[in-house]
Amino acid sequence: MRFRRQIAPVSLILAVCFVCAGPATAERPEPPPYYAVRDARVVTAAGDTLERATVLIADGLIEALGTDLAIPTDAWVIEGEGLTLYPGLIDAMTDLAQKREEAPGRAGSGGGRPGGAPRPTIRGPEDRPATTPWVSAAQMLGDGDDRVAQWREAGFTAAVSVPTRGFFAGQASLVHLGDSEPKERVLATPVAQRISFRSGGGGFRSFPGSLMGGISYVRQVLSDARHEAIELELYERSPNGRQRPIHDRALEPIRHAITGRLPFLMPADHGREIDRVLQIAAEAEIVPVLYGGQGAYARVDALAESRTPVLVSLDWPEADKDADPDADTPLPMLHHRRKAPATPGMLADAGVPFAFTSDGLSSPAKIFEGVRAATGAGLSNDDALAALTLDAARILGVDDRLGSIEAGKIANLVLATAEPWIEDAEVRAVFVDGRKYEQRKEDEDAEPPATDVSGTWALQLETPGGVRDMTADLKMTDDGKVTGDLTSQRGTVTVDDGRMSGDRLSFETTRTMGPRTVTASYSLTVAEDNVEGTLRAGPRSMEITGERTAEASEAEAEDGEEPAVSTEELERAMALYSGPIRDGNSFAITGATVYTVSGETLEDATVVVDGGKIRAIGTGIEIPPGIEAIDADGGSVIPGIIDAHSHIAIEGGGNEGSVAVSAMVSIQDVIEPEDIAIYRALAGGVTTVNVLHGSANPIGGGNAVLKLRWGSDAGGLRFEGAPSGIKFALGENPKRSRSNPPPGVERRYPATRMGVMDVIRQAFEEARDYRADWQRYESSSDKNRLSPRRDLKLERLAEVLAGERLVHAHCYRADEILQLLRLAEDFDFRIATLQHVLEGYKVADEIAAHGAGASTFSDWWGYKVEAYDAIPHNAALMAERGVMVSINSDSGEEMRHLNQEAAKAVKWGGLDEIEALKLVTLNPALQLGIGDSVGSIEVGKDADLVLYDGHPLSIFSVVQKTFVDGVLYFDRNADRERQAAIDAVKEKLAPEEDEETTEERGEEEEAPSPPESRVEDIHYSCREVGP
Amino acid sequence: MKHAIVLTVCLAASNLAAEPLVLENGTVHTLAGDSFTGRVVIDSGLITDAGPGAVAPDGARRLDVAGLHVYPGLFDALSTLGLTEINAVAATVDTAELGAYNPHLMAATAVHPASEVIPVTRANGITHAVTGPRAGQGGVIAGQAALLHLDGWTVEEMAIEPSIAMVIQWPAIQTRIFDRSTFTRRTVPYNEAKEKAEEARAELRDWLEAARHYAQAASAGDGRAEHDLKLEALARVADGSQPVLLLANAERDITAAADFAEREGLDIVLAGGRDAWKVKEMLAEKDIPVILGRTQSLPAEDDDPYDRPFRGAGDLREAGVRIAFGSAAGGGFGPGGPHSARTLPYESATASAFGLSREEALKALTIYPAEILGVGDRLGTIEKGKIANLMVTDGDPLEITTRVVHLIIAGKEVSTDNRHRDLYQRYRARP
Repeated sequence: MRFRRQIAPVSLILAVCFVCAGPATAERPEPPPYYAVRDARVVTAAGDTLERATVLIADGLIEALGTDLAIPTDAWVIEGEGLTLYPGLIDAMTDLAQKREEAPGRAGSGGGRPGGAPRPTIRGPEDRPATTPWVSAAQMLGDGDDRVAQWREAGFTAAVSVPTRGFFAGQASLVHLGDSEPKERVLATPVAQRISFRSGGGGFRSFPGSLMGGISYVRQVLSDARHEAIELELYERSPNGRQRPIHDRALEPIRHAITGRLPFLMPADHGREIDRVLQIAAEAEIVPVLYGGQGAYARVDALAESRTPVLVSLDWPEADKDADPDADTPLPMLHHRRKAPATPGMLADAGVPFAFTSDGLSSPAKIFEGVRAATGAGLSNDDALAALTLDAARILGVDDRLGSIEAGKIANLVLATAEPWIEDAEVRAVFVDGRKYEQRKEDEDAEPPATDVSGTWALQLETPGGVRDMTADLKMTDDGKVTGDLTSQRGTVTVDDGRMSGDRLSFETTRTMGPRTVTASYSLTVAEDNVEGTLRAGPRSMEITGERTAEASEAEAEDGEEPAVSTEELERAMALYSGPIRDGNSFAITGATVYTVSGETLEDATVVVDGGKIRAIGTGIEIPPGIEAIDADGGSVIPGIIDAHSHIAIEGGGNEGSVAVSAMVSIQDVIEPEDIAIYRALAGGVTTVNVLHGSANPIGGGNAVLKLRWGSDAGGLRFEGAPSGIKFALGENPKRSRSNPPPGVERRYPATRMGVMDVIRQAFEEARDYRADWQRYESSSDKNRLSPRRDLKLERLAEVLAGERLVHAHCYRADEILQLLRLAEDFDFRIATLQHVLEGYKVADEIAAHGAGASTFSDWWGYKVEAYDAIPHNAALMAERGVMVSINSDSGEEMRHLNQEAAKAVKWGGLDEIEALKLVTLNPALQLGIGDSVGSIEVGKDADLVLYDGHPLSIFSVVQKTFVDGVLYFDRNADRERQAAIDAVKEKLAPEEDEETTEERGEEEEAPSPPESRVEDIHYSCREVGP
Repeated sequence: MKHAIVLTVCLAASNLAAEPLVLENGTVHTLAGDSFTGRVVIDSGLITDAGPGAVAPDGARRLDVAGLHVYPGLFDALSTLGLTEINAVAATVDTAELGAYNPHLMAATAVHPASEVIPVTRANGITHAVTGPRAGQGGVIAGQAALLHLDGWTVEEMAIEPSIAMVIQWPAIQTRIFDRSTFTRRTVPYNEAKEKAEEARAELRDWLEAARHYAQAASAGDGRAEHDLKLEALARVADGSQPVLLLANAERDITAAADFAEREGLDIVLAGGRDAWKVKEMLAEKDIPVILGRTQSLPAEDDDPYDRPFRGAGDLREAGVRIAFGSAAGGGFGPGGPHSARTLPYESATASAFGLSREEALKALTIYPAEILGVGDRLGTIEKGKIANLMVTDGDPLEITTRVVHLIIAGKEVSTDNRHRDLYQRYRARP
């Protein structure tokens, strides 16, 4: 990025010539530190704007400002007439000015790691994975980050630099962006600790390998730090007779941050993430500052109420240029892309403190593009300025020295023709720490463009390995500014800093490749429809030739043009996309065959629902006045279907498979309420789901019982009063029979069924001790006694021992089922449900005697050895033997027709119809401990109901309506309207059917390593076998 | 070509005649006209008479099926039955050979007649199935599929057609790749995916051309060309005499595959066909039939209608596309494999709840697959002269709660017993 090219000639007073991006080591003159900016419009950002004012600068500080100040004779005068002086801009979160090689090690290493050494396996939170809170950005500063000069030239005078790798990556430091030695750069440190819930690596190899694992880990560390603070305090008070606390270098800085009220930077973009982070911060009693924040438009009220500051990323979401052209973009994503830039304006209106972060954007031009997107979507220029100056300083706790033009503050200033982000604004001078950096025109004058290079160009790059093809799509403005994209086999990159001067075309591209960015500079000569020239990338230089294959397409939407779909239209479609079909939770269904399941089946009957509860059931019932009647038209009504085993609506992985016991994690922490699977489940009559952790380990994490109130946030989906649960798993999956870890990675214990039982037994031995410790502590009268350390893993297991948490155990073989029952009996708890339990029919008597429920598949078998004895008669046979049986889906697809799966128990094993229906309604409700409120059609129960157009066990019957708490969430007719709205939006947004563009691709020499592949999360099912 | 012919002959010389059998007093759904109550007469493996007034030959075994329904046996148009016992145990899986081009491989040479999956499947009324090899990672030509009775002591007894079609995996443009080794889904740049697919398609074209060249050289008879099993097998495909089961799912791949087949003169049956409904007019116009995978599958995109996969079959049929169902044709959730072949009728039935008529739903499981695979004169309806593959049920076979009471395969009554019923009875009797 050479910002100077866009700078017009400046005033004649210039004495010092500053050329940007010079090496920091170059010798420079040291003029006296006294300046006066005269007759400028001064936007102080602290309230006033002064016209024709003078600002005096001395020794790095703002000495004075006013409209009739005497200018000291030793001050160098800068003419500000016609220009405006602003406070220097602050980039609130970056990795600017850091020495690359000093960045702490990658995730999982727990610190610096010599290159190439195998990554140690992390077995749990006590190993403190990717945790380096003692690292400070201030200690990582180095020379040679060209971006410092680029940012400064654009008007940024300070930035928060943050270590970026790890769950607790380290301390953020506020640095100034002058041209100084690294050690002089620091303005304030630490200004915050940075938290992340995800880190590279992990997976099944290293803890934590999932989002819920990361969340749990952060919680544990915060809890440990607070505990250590108390422990140390007690010890310091009277060390005599006390055991010395073990020093934990990871906890010390976190402890200081907690007690010193230092902010924690916490990642949150979408609404659900904001909810999570606010909850975690509140629990841990830490000061949160959110980063990312683009989806904050959906949580403005919550943020305003808690006055939680947000560092909003200016890297607005947009379509991936390499995306599959036939891939569909879901409506919520289209909506998010449209709404995100409106976030800053909404935050400003609501009084939520916020600042901006460049968040990895490669140039100030892109940052300003981002600011303009926000001002174009409702943010005022004044508020934008505040966010980039004083508000940023306030959030960072440095507003007493930075952020506004006030006497005594640090002299960080920008003299410009307008706010620097305004298009065509010119920055004339920048002061950092009172030192002046002036922009001057380059020697080489820009010539007017000799030809318009707009259009599509096929380029051939001559590399040592042969000719590679690329395609450039360029657009040129009248003054020679060139923008566009460059596509190669590596993907598509943006053309930066493009300029047509005379017949010379120059531009740069930047590609991020893992931790590195590679910049390539193109210098080409254009003759009509042909180009030739060179590409430089680092030390290499390669010849390029090319020709224009198409003129600029007219169809392409210009900036500022009306979008094909208005925001209102998008919002209307979104309103139909999710949420209740209509308001109200009172109605009566008439003329239905009502399968109460717990009692009689009534023909031509009525169900009256009032206030979300079932009020009356029967034939010939009078419908109370004011209650709308819905004619079932001869259809049938059954209780809402309950799926006792599901993995829908999970974000960031449903398995924390890195450890044999992952009881510390919980699905509840990572609910994704926008998952379309919720709507699809409703369309299949499902109203409640038991969302379980996967089966990768003998003891998995916590569950979440959800009511499918589609459109609610994670809290709103929660089934109030449902007992908490935890996942166990036996057999092939937890012993990882078919996984081969890569070289250097140890195989995880256990590898046999013996080991699986051992892991569970050991865990409960430990949990029993833990519980006893707490019981002793709680019954003790000694007020000075230190509480035991809270252990999130053992805490959940202690709840199992206390009978407060239901165990849902994935199992297949009869022998392992029996072993688990006996183990539980040894520890005096009961298994709530055996999940899958495919050989349950072999030990049905034992299961019934223990009192466990059984939740099985209808007819899956043979996919692995432990499923080879599975029989479709399992449900019926276990029921016959007195086991409480349900049928579950374990699948986002199969859950859409659980009524059919129930019918299979009629076919195989001869269950009667009502008993079959109970398999997917009342029985799972009883198994999950929610049978008092759902599972059957009874007066007083929640009105979770499904209306079919025929017999509920017939494959030809289709769900017409699904109610949760009496609220209509699925309606077959409304579904058509919903779909029409989606289709209408998509149709308008569909690109016009163009002639297929020339298929030029090839490999750029600038990208020596293979393309980064993006790894997505996938959801596990217990049928599938993870690695 | 000599070898293949020899094999065909020896495999087809199967299905020895059984004693004459008469089904009496049942409601017979011929699917070739009106239903009737009466007799179906079976002799030497074939239906020799059917009708209200059909006469039972002397000495025939008579089976009274009063109150029950007689239907043609169901046809799984693409399965891996007999090739896989337990998905997770590689030692029991014989579906995908190494190498990308294996036209000479025959599923029939690896079918395990004693597989427990076969009796489990037929117990739900499926009496015959196409069993096909699958392409491995990056594979294109998987090999030859066989049409089998789901009963027989040996594959020779099972085989109706030992080589009924060539299975080819159409090289798709895949930007979303599931990597089983790491259990992650990756996205690759579109250009890269497209280039890879185009390379494979060009390679397939080269193979077809080579096969034609080989056939020409072989027919010249001067003996200079060396015998080549692969090209010999592929030559039957290249000249359009053997149908191709071409697996493709995305709209763009189906379209490209149809164009390719037209240019190359291939006789194709589309298999999988997730997006086939999007190009139903084209398929109808070119008369490309489709063997559909699971109806009970999730929509391809988040914003697709929830019932989009349920409606596909009905939409295709309405446009005049010929359809059938195959348990291994793809889609749906789960580990795949042959174990879910027994639920095949419910894939058609679900389509029937969302637009396909019930009669069409039944035909898509019986006569349509027979016609699509060129055996409509031998299978698929209850008509004189056809192979006697029948099921006797206590109701509509599309309904889950319906039970299959009797099975007739190749003219013999076959037990509906299987591993599952054995286990059920054994443990039910546990004291």
